Amino acid sequence: MEEYYLICEDSLEGIFTGIYDAYLKKKPHEQIHILVKGEDNYRLFAVYENCIPNEEKAAKVAKTILREFGKETYLAICRALASKETDKGEAIYKTVVSGFQMKNRHQLMGNLANPAVHRVFELARFTANEVHFHIELLRFKELENGILYAEIGPKNNLITFIVPHFADRFPLENFVIYDEIRNIYAMHPAGGDWYLVHGEEGIKQIEHTFSEGEKKYSELFCQFFHTIAIKERENYRLQRNMLPLRYREYMTEFQQK
Amino acid sequence: MEGNLILKSEKQMSLMEKLRILADAAKFDVSCSSSGVERRGDGTGIGNTSAAGICHSFGADGRCISLLKILFTNECIYDCKYCINRKSNDVPRASFTPDEICELTIQFYRRNYIEGLFLSSGILNNPTYTMELIYEAVYKLRTLYRFQGYIHVKAIPGADPEIVQRLGLLADRMSVNLELPTAEGLQKLAPNKHRRNILAPMRQIQQGIAQNRNELVVYRHAPNFVPAGQSTQMIVGATPESDYHIMTVAENLYKKFELKRVYYSAFVNVNEDKELPALPGGPPLLREHRLYQADWLLRFYGFEAGELLSESKPNFNILLDPKADWALRHLELFPVEINRADYQMILRVPGIGVKSAQRIVRARRNGKLNFDDLKKIGVTLKRALYFITCNGKMMYPTKLEEDYIARNLISNKEKLPFDRDGMTYRQLSLFDDEQESLWKLAVNG
Repeated sequence: MEEYYLICEDSLEGIFTGIYDAYLKKKPHEQIHILVKGEDNYRLFAVYENCIPNEEKAAKVAKTILREFGKETYLAICRALASKETDKGEAIYKTVVSGFQMKNRHQLMGNLANPAVHRVFELARFTANEVHFHIELLRFKELENGILYAEIGPKNNLITFIVPHFADRFPLENFVIYDEIRNIYAMHPAGGDWYLVHGEEGIKQIEHTFSEGEKKYSELFCQFFHTIAIKERENYRLQRNMLPLRYREYMTEFQQK
Repeated sequence: MEGNLILKSEKQMSLMEKLRILADAAKFDVSCSSSGVERRGDGTGIGNTSAAGICHSFGADGRCISLLKILFTNECIYDCKYCINRKSNDVPRASFTPDEICELTIQFYRRNYIEGLFLSSGILNNPTYTMELIYEAVYKLRTLYRFQGYIHVKAIPGADPEIVQRLGLLADRMSVNLELPTAEGLQKLAPNKHRRNILAPMRQIQQGIAQNRNELVVYRHAPNFVPAGQSTQMIVGATPESDYHIMTVAENLYKKFELKRVYYSAFVNVNEDKELPALPGGPPLLREHRLYQADWLLRFYGFEAGELLSESKPNFNILLDPKADWALRHLELFPVEINRADYQMILRVPGIGVKSAQRIVRARRNGKLNFDDLKKIGVTLKRALYFITCNGKMMYPTKLEEDYIARNLISNKEKLPFDRDGMTYRQLSLFDDEQESLWKLAVNG
């Protein structure tokens, strides 16, 4: 029995094109697998094909998922796509396949007994949790020219999930969020729409000068942060459970002192 | 005059110093939630709110920091025995100006340090005067600074109902602190406060919210009155009430006053007053934790206080959480068949939470679930396995016997949010049936 492996680009467009091409093969789905580029565990007796991202094909798949399975599933799949895990393509593909076998297709994400659906659920939850942590813990610093600037280092590619929250919250601010792992900037001009900019390669770290107020208010907040804790209830283990250490290097109150 | 002197020294006090004093004075207010209202920004100002609430940091005590929690002033005409800001204490006093509060809120908010403002106050001159000061600051923040984030303010007992009404139209949440579970306790420890005065604004806010709900049906753009609801808090362990007593009070507050949240605050003895119990083992954190667990059972699991405790069993088990304790006393209802039982019954199984129960009910529509599926769904099987069957089978052969299950549940160490080793026997004794006599001993000795 021949096994097919479609190697897709790590993006929504890439993986959705992969799903389209997999259906195009008209072979049993158990024989077809989707790999995300970069995985290099090649097997013997298997056919590997490169899959070229195609906007039209991807749009068709996206439309079908949204129509057949509803918003909940579509959002879960989008979140799973942002995951850093490389088995996401296969999980999403097999989830879609299993969805078409269901009577009530809008209940697809509830079918957790299915391993592929469960994997998509897990990946989506991981992304959603990390998104939530970033909405909570991201810290802006005011630059000399009044622009608010934040750096993040997320495990999953989640910048597009967090910017809408801040764009709604700070419509009249100029702000920039920089994903230093993927070298992506999200720019939000005051009163305008936000957009993404991919940073130039090689130049990663730019030295910033911060405004006068930045020092004042960051010190005030640190003061508040230390004062508001009740000494008689000191509990660093609980603090660590609630606020994972890996976020602290980006947080103002843990940078000072 | 003395008043002038205070004003002068305040002028010289730096913002940093004020923030230190007035945050320190506010830290015993438990509520820091920013939940209950979903509001998108309208594009003309700054801020929005999220129904689930957003925490922005966690302090050294592990408590969430969501709001800029400060007092307007820590001057106070009252002399409550448990309070650090009481009149008879010699502590540095400070007051913010409305502009200082607005600047701090906006500048912290812009940097994503906080979700909004929590403004409380000591009582300056009289309750109505104090609430006018709070109103002035909040009004400025909402109109001049166009702040659309979360605002939680205290309604001060005894203030004119008119100002409570006006402030309620600007705030997202209001709270009136019950302080102590009983009127007698209040009379003893807070002689200037009266139960009646505390319940009056609580009732007023409840009615205001109900009325507003009707107005919103007719006029979609009617101004919102306290859209995130009201909350309150009680100090636990300063007076000799039993857990049963406290839970009954909480249940009444939820049912009769429609509160969103009741907070429990483990008593911290800051004043060492002779009327108050000495707590050499530190604040009664385990007791507070059990009360919160039970509170959750009331609000989300369909339990009633009378099911968990009674006059003859007035305190929570120290070794078992209230849900497991309840299940052990009702073994006749178990085991529960996961593939058939209704949602309410599944919720009552130890080791299954609200999310898992919802997922189970949803997932079983697509076929029978087995123990492996339950594990994936997020059920804590090592707790649940004594109480459930999947397709008629238990996970392992186990005895459905109180002692046996209790022993097994206790040997799986319960995850507590604080260090078990940090607890002393003295603290545990708070749960003894002779609680009251011990308490008296502590007060007198």
